[in-house]
Amino acid sequence: MAALPAMRPLGCLRSLSLSNPSSTVDSFSTAYSKRPERVPLPPNMPEQFLSQIPLRFRPDPDREPLKIYPAPPSARKACKDPVGAITESQLAVLDPTGERKAMFDYRRNPRSVKTGDIVRVTFKNGDPFNGIVMSIKLRGIETSFLMRNELTRVAVEMSVKVFSPNVNSVEIVQRSEKKRRRARLYFLRDKKHDRRSVENIVASYVRQKKAFLGGGNRRR
Amino acid sequence: MSPRLGGLLQLSPVWGAPLITPRIPVRSFGIRSLNPPKPSRFNIGPGLPVLESTSTAALRRKANSLPLRTGAIGIKKGMTAIYDPESGKRIPCTVLQLDRVEVISHKTRERHGYYAVQVGAGWKHPNNVPKSMLGHFSVNGVSPKRHIFEFRVKDEAGLIPVGQSIEAGWFQEGQFVDARSNTKGKGFAGVMKRHGFGGQDRSHGVSLTHRSMGSSGPGQGGGSRVYPGKKMAGNMGNTQNTVQNLKILKVDSENGIVVVSGAVSGPKGCVVRIQDAIKKPWPEVPQAEATEPATA
Repeated sequence: MAALPAMRPLGCLRSLSLSNPSSTVDSFSTAYSKRPERVPLPPNMPEQFLSQIPLRFRPDPDREPLKIYPAPPSARKACKDPVGAITESQLAVLDPTGERKAMFDYRRNPRSVKTGDIVRVTFKNGDPFNGIVMSIKLRGIETSFLMRNELTRVAVEMSVKVFSPNVNSVEIVQRSEKKRRRARLYFLRDKKHDRRSVENIVASYVRQKKAFLGGGNRRR
Repeated sequence: MSPRLGGLLQLSPVWGAPLITPRIPVRSFGIRSLNPPKPSRFNIGPGLPVLESTSTAALRRKANSLPLRTGAIGIKKGMTAIYDPESGKRIPCTVLQLDRVEVISHKTRERHGYYAVQVGAGWKHPNNVPKSMLGHFSVNGVSPKRHIFEFRVKDEAGLIPVGQSIEAGWFQEGQFVDARSNTKGKGFAGVMKRHGFGGQDRSHGVSLTHRSMGSSGPGQGGGSRVYPGKKMAGNMGNTQNTVQNLKILKVDSENGIVVVSGAVSGPKGCVVRIQDAIKKPWPEVPQAEATEPATA
């Protein structure tokens, strides 16, 4: 007995002698294993045993196997972007040449209308509106721009939908002198930066245009 | 289960039929009154009021407000605008897409107590469909569907054949529909957001309860209890909402697109059920479509 404590540290050597019996239990595999086939019922099984088998496993000659029908062709796959499709069909009618789209597409077209420009918009019904462009919202068919002007000493802002059939024309009266560093010129509403009325600039532009086109031209 | 009551009943027919009838073992279950109500002798004869609490009466009441034909299941794809070609007026609209909408089965007055068309849309992998549902699809001969809804119709003339697909052309441009969908979920919301309560003062001694609901009812005089239906904080949104009388602006059968005027509840990608508007005259359906269910 006295020899045992001295032998105890040597006990660790015992594991070497063992033939690793637990290795099959500890390891597991992620490899695919086939689902086991269902064992068929014995053909000559007495009928009285059937009640012990769950209902869904009992042989039923009348039961038809589940048939899974294929799905019909998908509209979702045919048209992945329905809103875009509607927009395209609208643009094809309202802007067949793509002229208006290019005129306001300031991200791609360098000659487009930009914020800070002074523009003159004429409508099918109603007076034309002049103003300095404060912002351009590119939203497909809902693309619009916001103009600011001063009429009878009252500041006026007007948002116009670019593709509206009521808009007859949009003309650039004057480009902005310097490149704007902001996409939206909301600071024009501050007293310090307000441009006030742009009617004089537009009026002189209209006069010049009339002279250039020979006076009697009614087309705008 | 074995008929354990059989022998007992044979011996002593306490609840059973009158003694004149031959002794047939009758099984009965549940609780039965010893003194069953007898029909009143004053409740017989002509001139009595028609009963209003029967299922027949309920169907008769609903007859004018039930659409003649089934609706369809669409997916909300987003909003845009359409310009009216004549007036140049801009009409905000919602784009819905009908994807593989098919009739799965019928509900009939005889079996279920009402007439309805069960409609499915989309597709779901059979591995993800419960076996009971797979059996339902299998019996009716349609592919497994992701979304299944019922559309009530007035009578059996509206039960179009099982397996028939409902395309976007089911709706006509210019007709009106009701759109039914779940609103956007807002989560657990306080009373100010959920019910529009005023909240409490910012100051004047109010401490830590600026957005809370305050009192939930009277004290001893009111019964010292909170009345049922008291508006409180809780889950807001994600409840069904019907938007009535939306005009169909555009229909594209090829791509399954239906464009309705105005807004429809719910986020993009939500399921929207559209059916003929009950507050407008029923749409003029082409004759071929109308006669088809009658022959089938």
